[in-house]
Amino acid sequence: MGCSSSLPASNAGGIGNINNDNSATDSKNLKLKLVLLGDSGVGKSCIVLRFVRGQFDPTSKVTVGASFLSQVLALEDSTTVKFEIWDTAGQERYAALAPLYYRGAGAAIVVYDITSEESLNKAQYWVKELQKHGSQDMIMALVGNKADLHEKRTVSSQDAQEYADRNNMFFVETSAKTADNINQLFEEIAKRLPRPTPPS
Amino acid sequence: MEGGADAFGSSTAPLAWHDFLERMRQPSASEFVKAIKGFIVTFSNRAPDPEKDSAAVQEFLQNMEGAFRSHTPWAGSSEEELESAGEGLEKYIMTKLYNRVFASVPEDVRSDEELFEKMSLLQQFIHPENLDIKPEYQNETSWLLAQKELQKINMYKAPRDKLACILNCCKVINNLLMNASHMSNDDAHGADEFLPVLIYVTLKANPPQLHSNLLYIQRYRSQSRLVSEAQYFFTNILSAESFIWNIDAESLSMDERDFQKKMDLARERLLGLSAGSENQDSETNLVVREHSSQTMKGSGSSDVNLSLKDHVQGPVQDKRRESDVSSKSVERVQSISDLEKKGATELLKDDDLSKIFQDYPFLFARAGDLTVADVDTLLNSYKQLVLRYVALSQGMGITPETPFVQSTQTASDLQISEEPENVKNVVNSCESSEESNKASEEIKNEITESEVGNVSTTRAAVDPSERTLQDESSDQPEHA
Repeated sequence: MGCSSSLPASNAGGIGNINNDNSATDSKNLKLKLVLLGDSGVGKSCIVLRFVRGQFDPTSKVTVGASFLSQVLALEDSTTVKFEIWDTAGQERYAALAPLYYRGAGAAIVVYDITSEESLNKAQYWVKELQKHGSQDMIMALVGNKADLHEKRTVSSQDAQEYADRNNMFFVETSAKTADNINQLFEEIAKRLPRPTPPS
Repeated sequence: MEGGADAFGSSTAPLAWHDFLERMRQPSASEFVKAIKGFIVTFSNRAPDPEKDSAAVQEFLQNMEGAFRSHTPWAGSSEEELESAGEGLEKYIMTKLYNRVFASVPEDVRSDEELFEKMSLLQQFIHPENLDIKPEYQNETSWLLAQKELQKINMYKAPRDKLACILNCCKVINNLLMNASHMSNDDAHGADEFLPVLIYVTLKANPPQLHSNLLYIQRYRSQSRLVSEAQYFFTNILSAESFIWNIDAESLSMDERDFQKKMDLARERLLGLSAGSENQDSETNLVVREHSSQTMKGSGSSDVNLSLKDHVQGPVQDKRRESDVSSKSVERVQSISDLEKKGATELLKDDDLSKIFQDYPFLFARAGDLTVADVDTLLNSYKQLVLRYVALSQGMGITPETPFVQSTQTASDLQISEEPENVKNVVNSCESSEESNKASEEIKNEITESEVGNVSTTRAAVDPSERTLQDESSDQPEHA
C-alpha cells in the first residue's frame, strides 16, 4: 500500500470538492458508478483516498478503508457529480471476478505503476476485458500512478499516451503521494459524462 | 468508511416496523390490506419459479409503494415515512412468503449442500496466505467477530435483515483492516485487502444455505434499495461465493497433489472416519492453538487448551450433517454449556467457595463500589477474559456467541447492526411477556411467530447455552 509514506499534500483536493449527501439525480446532479481496475500494489485505493480526502486537514492521520467510497464533485457549470467508486481486488487469482464489479459502471479507471512494465501489461489486459464485456459507452481512463518516482520510471509516458489514444481512452499520470493530477483525473471524467443523464 | 447510512439510513429500526403495522390496521388501509392479502394468496398458490416469483414481488412492491404515496394513511407523509412504509411492506410480504420462496427449487437446495460441503472441507486447511492476505492484516481471533455477524444470516427472514448481517460482517472486517493498517503505519486498505479477508471469513463462518440466502436477497430485496454501498458489499459476497465455488489448487497457489490430499483428509475428518485424526491435526487448528497458547501465556492453563483441541469444527457447526458423522465423533464433542454445567456442579460441592473467587475481586462488586482507578484493571481483565473465551471456543471448534462483542470497539462502530439486534429483542420480549398489548394482534402475532420459528435448527440447538452465557456475563461489561 504505502500511500501513508506520502508527504502531506498541500491543498490536495482543490476547492471543487463538497461533501454533499444529496442523492437526487437530475440533469444538474449526476450520479456515476466508477470502477477501479489494476494490479495490486499500483495504488488504486490511494488515488481514491487522495481524491476523497483531499479537502481534509492533511496533517490529521485518519485511517480510512477505501474499497467503497463516494464523493461529490462540483463542476464549473454548476453541475455536481456524485461518484460511487468501486475498488476491485487486483491480485491475479481474483481477476475472474471483475465482471461482477464493472457491470453497470459508467466509468472505469485502469491504473498501472509507471515503475512497473508488468503492471502496464496487466492494465492492457483490463482494457481489453472492458472493451469486450463492459458497456459500450463506458468512459475509460488509463492512469499511470506513482509519477513522483520518475527516477525509477520504466514505462514512458509517450508509449502509454499512444496506447490510450489507440483505445479511445484518456490518459494521465498521477501521484497519489503528491496529489498531482488527482483532482484533474476525476474532473475530466465528470466532464466527459453524457448529460443530461436520466435518473437511473 | 463514508456513507454507512446510505443503505439503511431512512428505515430506522423496529419503531418503523410497528408504525407500519399500526397504520395497516387503520380502516383507511383496508384496501391495501386486501391487496396485500390477495397478492400473497395468489402467489402462494403458484408453483415456484424463481425468475417469475422475483419479478412478481418486485413489481408488487413498486406498485404498492407508488400507491402509498397518494393514499391514506400515508398520503402527505414525509419521504422518510414513505421509505419506512416501503421497508415495512417488503418485510411483511417476504416474511409471509418466506417458506414458499426460500430455497424453493431442488437445484438451489443442491447448491446449498454442495457449497456447504466444499466450505467445510476448505476451511480445515486454508491459510490466509492462500488468498494473498498479507501478514500484517492477519488476525484470526478478531475475524471471529466478522464470522459471527455472517452466521446470523439464518436468524432472519426479511431480505433487508439478512442483508444487514452481510453488511455488518463487512463493517467488522473493514474496522479490523483499519486498525491493522493503522498499526502498521499504512494508511489505506482497499479491495486488495478487503476481498481476501471476506472470502476467508466466509469460508470459516460457512453459514448453512449461503447460496440460497444470497439468491433470496438478490431476488427479493427491493431493487431500489439494493444500491450504492449496500450493493457494493453485496457484490463482494457474491464474488466471494463465486470464488469459493471455483476454488482449486491453482486459485490457492497450491500444488495439485497437495490440494487433493488436503481435501481428502478434510473429508475423512469431517466424516469422522479418520481414526488417527487427533494426531494429524489440521494446520488451521495448529495455528489457532499457537495463538491460544500465546494469549494464555502466564496463565498456567495452556494444557487445558491442548486437551480440548481435538474437536474439529465440522460436527459442531453443522447440525445438518450430523447424520453423516459417526456417533463416536459426536460424543466426543462437549458443548461449552455442558462443560459449564459440569464445572458449576463441582463448584457447588466445594466447601470453600470464597477462596476460589478471591482472585476475582470484582465478581461481587456493585457499580457504586468502583473507583475510576478500577476501570483500568477491569478493562484489562475483560480483555483477557474475551481473548481466553474466544480462543477456548475456537479450540473446541465452537462458534463463540458472546455478548462481549457488543462492547468491543469494532462493534460499537456499527450503526447498521441496530436493526437485526433490535428485531431480535422485540421478538424476544413479545414472546416472554404480554406487555405489548397495543400491538396489532392479528398481523403482528403471525409475524413474530414466523420469525421465531425461522431460527434455524442449528441456531435452536446452540441457543440455550448461549443464553446462559449471555445472562451471566452481560452485567459485567455494563458495570465496568
